[in-house]
This record gives sequence, structure tokens and C-alpha cells, in this order.
Amino acid sequence: MDNILSILIFFPAFAGVLGFIVDKNSARAYGISVASIEFLLAVWLWMSFDGSNGSMQFVEMLPLVPDFGISYYLGVDGISLFIVVMATLMILLGMIGMSIEKDIKNMIISLLFLEMTMVGVFLALDAVIFYLFWELSLVPMLYIIGAWGGPKRVYASIKFFLYTFIGSLIMLVGMLFLAYLYHDVTGTWSFAITDWYALVLPIETQIWLFIAFFFGFAIKVPMFPFHTWLPYAHGQAPTIGSVILAAVLLKMGTYGFIRFSLPILPDASVYMITPVAILALIMVVYTAMIAYAQKDMKQVIAYSSVSHMGIIMLGVFAMNSEGISGSIFLMLSHGVVSGALFMLVGVIYDRRHTKMMSEFGGLASIMPKYAVIFGIMLMASVGLPLTIGFVGEFLVLLGFYNISPIMTIIAGSTIILGAVYMLSLYKKTFFGEVTNDENKGLKDLNSREMYSLVPLVLIVVWLGVYPKPILEPIDNSVKSLVSFMDKKAQTQEAKDIIVSPKKEEGK
Amino acid sequence: MLEPISVSLESLNMATLAPMLIAICGALIILIIDLFKDGLHKSLYVMLTLLVLLIDLGATLGLGVNQRGFFDLILIDGISIISQALILLASMLFIPLALTSKRFHEYSYPEYFALFLFMIAGYQFMVSSDNLILIFVGLETASLSLYTLIAMHNRSNSYEAAVKYFTMGALAAGFFVMGSAMVYAATGSLELYKIAEVMQSRMDEAGVMVLLISSGIMLLIAFAFKMSLFPFHTWGPDAYEGASAPLAGYMSIVPKVAAMVVAMRIFGLYIDIGIEEIRTAILLLSVLTMTLANMMALVQLDVKRMLAYSSISHAGFVMAAIALDTTKANSGVFLYYMLFLFTNLGAFSMLWISRHKNNKFHNRFDHPYEKFAGLIKVMPLGAVVMALFMLSLAGVPPFSVFWGKIYIMSSAVDAGYVWLAIVMGLNSAISAYYYLKLIVYMFLKEPADNDGTIYYNINKPLMTIIGIAVFVTVTSILYIQPLLQYITYMVSASGY
Repeated sequence: MDNILSILIFFPAFAGVLGFIVDKNSARAYGISVASIEFLLAVWLWMSFDGSNGSMQFVEMLPLVPDFGISYYLGVDGISLFIVVMATLMILLGMIGMSIEKDIKNMIISLLFLEMTMVGVFLALDAVIFYLFWELSLVPMLYIIGAWGGPKRVYASIKFFLYTFIGSLIMLVGMLFLAYLYHDVTGTWSFAITDWYALVLPIETQIWLFIAFFFGFAIKVPMFPFHTWLPYAHGQAPTIGSVILAAVLLKMGTYGFIRFSLPILPDASVYMITPVAILALIMVVYTAMIAYAQKDMKQVIAYSSVSHMGIIMLGVFAMNSEGISGSIFLMLSHGVVSGALFMLVGVIYDRRHTKMMSEFGGLASIMPKYAVIFGIMLMASVGLPLTIGFVGEFLVLLGFYNISPIMTIIAGSTIILGAVYMLSLYKKTFFGEVTNDENKGLKDLNSREMYSLVPLVLIVVWLGVYPKPILEPIDNSVKSLVSFMDKKAQTQEAKDIIVSPKKEEGK
Repeated sequence: MLEPISVSLESLNMATLAPMLIAICGALIILIIDLFKDGLHKSLYVMLTLLVLLIDLGATLGLGVNQRGFFDLILIDGISIISQALILLASMLFIPLALTSKRFHEYSYPEYFALFLFMIAGYQFMVSSDNLILIFVGLETASLSLYTLIAMHNRSNSYEAAVKYFTMGALAAGFFVMGSAMVYAATGSLELYKIAEVMQSRMDEAGVMVLLISSGIMLLIAFAFKMSLFPFHTWGPDAYEGASAPLAGYMSIVPKVAAMVVAMRIFGLYIDIGIEEIRTAILLLSVLTMTLANMMALVQLDVKRMLAYSSISHAGFVMAAIALDTTKANSGVFLYYMLFLFTNLGAFSMLWISRHKNNKFHNRFDHPYEKFAGLIKVMPLGAVVMALFMLSLAGVPPFSVFWGKIYIMSSAVDAGYVWLAIVMGLNSAISAYYYLKLIVYMFLKEPADNDGTIYYNINKPLMTIIGIAVFVTVTSILYIQPLLQYITYMVSASGY
């Protein structure tokens, strides 16, 4: 199937439209079936993907507005492939674990539209199409947070929308400027990212463009100091909203850096390593400390998720294949782990309608299965060896060591900080005596929740022990990206810092 | 003794006048029908008007590019043809909105439709001439008809709106005449192409330059009034509020398109010969307009007033393209209005179908936000359609207005005005807030005391118009290419 990417993008949307006809009581089963088919399609894509080839595969190209250089241009490489698979998986498991009863049909349809936009963002190779899906993803998310969220949901959803919208409009100006530069050089209009890769730009222009793109991506990641929308969004969103937000939507930002900033603007990226790394470090350490101070379980996980996104940012700006591959792997593991943690918090929230840690204690004796799964996910989040979290974190730190040992050590401290807040969360909720009588009658995980959580546990262990099947295709694509950046870089400084695989062999 | 003047009919090139004559004849026919038999139903007049507009559109599209006629007063070039087509399309969408199920005062008069056609003829004259006097005559014909149309809605705030609009319009007319007189004093001509020649040759004379710059400012003020640019916009929201919803939507498009075309002709000329002061002034006005109108829209309690301010902001957005004065920017103006037309008229039609005779939801406003609370539960389809229009107006891709925005922003970047593109981007973000506010009310709030009669005024013809608007808004990605190609061809063929 040559057009599998189009099918992957539009199948959920089409199913979403048809979903309006499906009866309300069957909507959930419909959604799960559609999401399973979509996930199987994504797995099929993975199976037919040539992992040893680092370039774009399954490319589709159809001119839409040739006079203005806009085309429907899709492709997948090792960088985007697994994020797509992870996105479809998280939607599926999120739907299975979802406990929402109110307006379930609207929720399913919104999720299916959201799935289209998410898959579209990662598969688009035309900047306008990328932007289109990027912006469109805000709409269903706005609805999900705003309609099913907590008491301040409307405020949270609007804040989420406006923050991202402002950032992406500045990014749009950057895109238009790049297209203009391309037109200036070649005489034709093009918004194709692969065409833009060929542009060699003066350093100063690169820096301005980098800043424009930075606004769009950094708000999405969210980098310090633009992170303030995220705790609100997480705090108010329903479980499914938080899962998707943390697992997939945030990855759009870091993915954008890898897809746009690094290859199009290699010199500026190298030039900006220090400022970005400092912001990332602040984000890592500062939000970890905030996480420790939280009383609400969900907020702890929300801040820890921001903190881990900081490590991903460091990996992206390590400018060598270990760091970038590590950060992509960490995106996947962060998606799985933080998604699972949000689901776990959702489980307890469904039972007790509170997320305050002080309300709990000694849950391990009442809900043993729950405690075990929570424990595994928590360890993965902390980055314990042999779990999925360790692989990415280790690679990122290894990669960033080339740039700055000191910063790497500070970032490494997050593993300790992470352990502190996560273990204290675990201690407060699961260990000790059952102090609150209301907790005594709590039921352990039911089968629906088990179905949604056990696959994630398996993934956490499998990829923690044997990450090679995923890491290798990622690494191949990243290597070709890095050697491309090395070739394209103009300043000596950039050439020195970007460690392409070939150079390493020569050493 | 006077010399006999002989003019051959061929040299008049009457074909260039055909579109306007068709509209005028249509109006006269409507008046004559009323003479013979009164009390005919409005649907007859609506359909007649629609047919006249259709013939008019055919005649317009059949015109050849770049010809002059009628003592060289009429100039049919590319921008004249597309702007006439735009005006006619908007009118064709607008006039069926008269087919409401409820009775409204104005539609019981056939004169309403006659005046409407006279107005269109006025706008057509305005956009297809480069003679300042004919432009003025067209402008006044159209404006006077429009004031009357507003007042015919027969409510006290409609009279207020009409009188306000009239007063401001008269002031603008004064500025226009004054500006033209100064141009005439400086160059001895009223034809734009001759003015350009004289200007070019007398650029070094300080006195002439002073006169020209001040005439440019006068004309700019006149157009700022007409396009309701800040700080000459104050009449706008009141006039919109007083007019019936479809007419308000119409006012946000057609008079502005006509004024944009004339502005393009006049100020393009000023900028071409290198009077940068005018460019700066236009940029300043447009940036202030889009920003401040956005701010005002944020605090409105009434959806119609919000849409009024938002239309002003959109006009500021497009006006900036005039200051850029490149082919791409000028094409962007038409692309933008072509897309904006459907979306904005659609949004105003949604207000129209929810119009009640008396204010049920608020003692001052017809369409307070509260009226639309929880609409998704009361009337899901209506809520989705309105949300689509709002998202499109906010510039969310892939809906239509996004393509206009991206094109104008891109032309700003091309012309070296990156800051302008950023200002436009930020303004779109601000505007997203008030559009979202309506979406939030419709989707996320509980319906308040609502017996399901919001869409009180709905019926099949109105639904058809809204359906067309939705279709055009949603499928824009499919027709942008041919549209853009046509517009760019037309604009560049007429040398703008």
C-alpha cells in the first residue's frame, strides 16, 4: 500500500464523521474498534518500514496550490514512525481505560478527530500541511478539556488554546519567511520541508528564524518560562485529555525542533545550544522541585512530565546521534510512562473523586494490583535501569556530555530529584496504615483498567530490556540527519560540535 | 456659437457600461412592476433581483480586460472585473436572506429591492473608473441608498444607525471632495493616469508636493471613514447593530471592497511615485485599526457588536496590504475578501436566523452571548456551523479565511515588512479569544432558560445560503489554486 500514510491520517477522521450516526450506547465500542484498526494500520506501517534506510519512505506528493508552493506532501522516517505508532496506541488504550459516561459519543468523535490531527502533524512534510494539522489539533483538545474537565475547565482550555495559538502564529511568520527566502534563491515557491533543507542561509537570518520557530515549538513542549499553561490544562483535563496531552501533543514541540530547527538551521541551532540548554535545565530542576511541593497527585505527575520534557530538549540539542536518538526514544518512553501514570491517577480519582495525596495512605494493602502497576510505572518514570525510562535518559545524558559535562551532571541530578518526589508520592499514598476509612472499601483494578494498563507495563519492561528493534531504525534516521547537518553547517564552531557518525569513525 | 460635437457610438464602447445599466434597468423594472400591481409578495422581488444580479454577473465576467469607454470615464481593468464579481456574489448571497419566515418591515416595500440594485450600480461605477468625479458620484449613489436600506429596518436604533452613518458619510464625502479639489489644483486633472504623469514631472516643486501630500491625507481620511478605520471607526459598531444582521454582514464586505479598490488605485499611485508618507500613514492606520478593534471586540457583550468590531479589524488587516502595493499583496486583498465574504456573511446569517422580534435574552442586545449558551445541546448542527465560521474567522486552517491571512502575511514578508506579518499574527491570536468565547458559550456552557426557539427565524432559503457558506468555508483548500491563479492574473493584467 503506497498511500498508507493518507489512510492513517484520514481513516480516523472519516470514522469520526460516520460516528455521528452510531448509537450512543455503542459509541464506545465503535471508538475502540476504530482505534484498534488504526493501531493495526500503524503497526503494519512499522512492519513494512525499512529500518535500515534512514531517509523518507512511503512518500506521497500531490500539488495543492502550486502557485504558492503548497502541496500535500507526506512521508515517514525512523524519527516519526514510532511516535505515530505510540500515538495510535495511546489513543486506543486511553479509550479502553476511559471511564467517562457523559456525552460519550461526542468524546469518541473528538478523540478520533484529534487522532487525525496528531498523526497528520508527524507525517506531514509540507510546512503548511504541518501547520494545518498543528493548529487543528487544538480544537478537539479545547473541547475535551472544556467539556469534561474540572471546575476551572473553561479557563484552562482557553489558556491552552491561546498560548499555543500565539506561538504558532509567530512560527507561521517564520515559515512564510523561509518560503520567501526559498523563492528568492530558486524562483519557485515551496513549502516542502525537504526543499527547505537544501537552503543555506546566512547565520543572522538563521538565528531570527530559529527564534520564530522556537516560539511555536517551545510553547508546545512546554519550555520554561512558557510552561504555565500545562499544569492548568492537566489539572482540569479529564484523564483521557491528560493522557493524550502528555503522551502525544507535547511531543509535537520536540518533534518540531528535530524536523525543522536542526536540519534547516544547523548553525543557529548550534549557536543557541547554551541558551536553550539553560532553559531546559531550569525546566528540569525547577519543575522537579515544584513537583515535590505539590499535594495533588496529578499535579506531581504533570510537573514531572514537564521536567522530563526538559531532558528531551537537552537530548535534541546534543547535536550528536546518541543525544537525538536518545531524546526520540525518551519521547516514546515518556509518552508511555506519563500516559500510564495519568491513567493510574484517573483510576483512583474515579473511585474517590479526589487526587489529594493526604486523603490516601496504605493503598498497597487494599489495591495490590494497582500498587504494583503504579510502582513499575513510577520506577520507569524515575529512570530505573531495565525499564524504558532508563534507555532514553542514559543516551541523552551520554550525548549531552560532549557539549557540557557540568550541565549533564546537573541534569543527571533529576534522576535523584525525580526519585525524591516520586517515591514520596508513593510512600504517602501506598504505604503505611490505612488512615482514611473511606479507602477501606476501595476495589482493585477492574478488567477494563487492566486491559488498558497491562500492555503498557509489558512495553515498559520489553523496551527497557531490549530496545534495539526501535532504537535501530531511529538511529539510522538520526545518523543521516546528523551527517546532513554536519555537511550543511557553515561555521567551524558548528562543524566541531555536530558529531556526525562519519567523523566518529575517522577518530 | 457652439461647435457641434460628434461622437460615434463605437467610441463610447457601451459594453463597458452594461453591468451598471443592467442593475439600473432591473431596479426600474421592479419599480414599474410595483406601479402596475402592488401587494406582490417579496419572494417575487427577491427572485427578480437575483436574476438581475445573475445577468449582471454574466455581463461583468464577459468583459475584456483593459478597455475604456464612455468618454474614457469608465476603465474596465482586472481589478474592476474581480471587484464587481465580488460585489455581485456578495449581493447574490445577501438578497435571499430576505426570504425569512417572519415578516420584516423593509421587505414589504419593493423600493427596498430597487434601492438595493441602485446601490450595486453605484458600487460598480465606483470600482470601474479612474476619474475622481465618477468615483465620487458612484460612492454617493451607493452610500445614500445604503443609508436608506439601513433605516428601513424600522426600529429606533436602525434610524440611529442610519443617521450616524449618514452624518459620518457626509463628512467623508466632504473630505473626499476637498482632497480631489487639491489634487486638481496641483495637477489640473481628475483622471488618475494623467494625475500620475503630472505628479511625476513636478516632484521637485516643494509647493506641489505639500499640496499632494495633504490631498493624500484628505483622501485617506475619507476612505478611513468609509472603511471604518481607526480613529474614524466610531460609527461602525452602532451602524452594524442597528442594521439588520444580513445588512450588517453585507456592510462589512461590499462597501469595503469598493473602497479598497479605489484606495488601491489612488494610494497605489501615491506610493508608486514615491510619496512614502502615505505608505507610512496607511500602515499606521491599519495596524492601529486591527489592534484596537480587536481589543474592543474582546469586551463586547453582544455577538453582533463583536462581529462588527471583528470586521473592522479584518478591514485593517487587509488595508495593510494596500500599503505594501505589490501584485501579491493586491491579489491578497481580493483573495481575502473572496473568502471572508462567505464566512462573514454566513456568520451574520446565523445571527439573522436567530433574530427575535423582541429582545428575549437581554434588555439591550439582540444577540448577547448568553443566548447561545449550550447551543450544542439545543441545536447541535447550528452550533457546529457557527463554530466553523468562528474558527475560520480566527484563521484556523484549513478553513477559508486562513488562506487569505497566510497570503497577505506572506506578501508582507516578501515586501520586507516582517514586523507587519508578526503584528498580523499576534492580532489573529488576540482575535481567537473572542471567537473562542462564542464557541465556549455554545459548547461548554449549560443552556440557560432556553425553550429551543433560538433559531426562530429559520427556513429553507436561509438554510441554503448558510449551507453554501459552510461548503465554501470548509472546502477552500480545493479551490484556492484556481481562484488565486485567476485573481493574480487579473491583478497583474491591470498593472497593480
